[in-house]
Amino acid sequence: MLARTLLVVALAAVGGAASAQKPAAQSAHDKVSMCIGCHGIPGYKTAYPEVYHVPKIGGQNPMYIANALKAYRTGERWHPSMRGIAASLSDKDIEDIAAYYGGAK
Amino acid sequence: MTRLLVLALALALAGAAQARGDAAAGKEKAAQVCAACHGPTGAKPTAPENPILAGQHYDYLVRALRDYKSGKRSSAVMKGFSASLSRQDIEDLAAWFASQESGLHYQR
Repeated sequence: MLARTLLVVALAAVGGAASAQKPAAQSAHDKVSMCIGCHGIPGYKTAYPEVYHVPKIGGQNPMYIANALKAYRTGERWHPSMRGIAASLSDKDIEDIAAYYGGAK
Repeated sequence: MTRLLVLALALALAGAAQARGDAAAGKEKAAQVCAACHGPTGAKPTAPENPILAGQHYDYLVRALRDYKSGKRSSAVMKGFSASLSRQDIEDLAAWFASQESGLHYQR
């Protein structure tokens, strides 16, 4: 009984440590699925509300990316798709995504 | 006749897709207005919150500057700088920065 309890505690500790140590850029990889449909396709253009190339964000300054997402989230920066996407992001998500794209080579 | 029309349309579209600004004029303007924060070629901003502009899409840069100028995109700093730019200045600056090299790239 004691052994089993100890095992459960040990597993929980290992699991906790593993998720805590996951690098920001790595865990962001799971979060960027909603970004790559536009920002990951070379030459992709917005179709609405105005037609122009979506910006390249790979290699951009992480702080700029984070500020942009926060401004979209509050509505201070205007774009319907980006507003919708940013609204679903937590501060941690934004940090992770900024690190992922900003740290990209 | 139809073939001629198609050709004319294709040429018109190709022309529209190309940068209309003059990069050389943009370089001069950038040195006066943009370089202090974004770096002379836009590749090395002087503060981490400022975006890299070098290698960014021409039409995106034009859109950003027009939106700053109109107030549709808000930034106290960029509102001030863009206010002095003409339509031609904006296209020239976008042509300059879009043609410069940086680490900006497509990332999945």
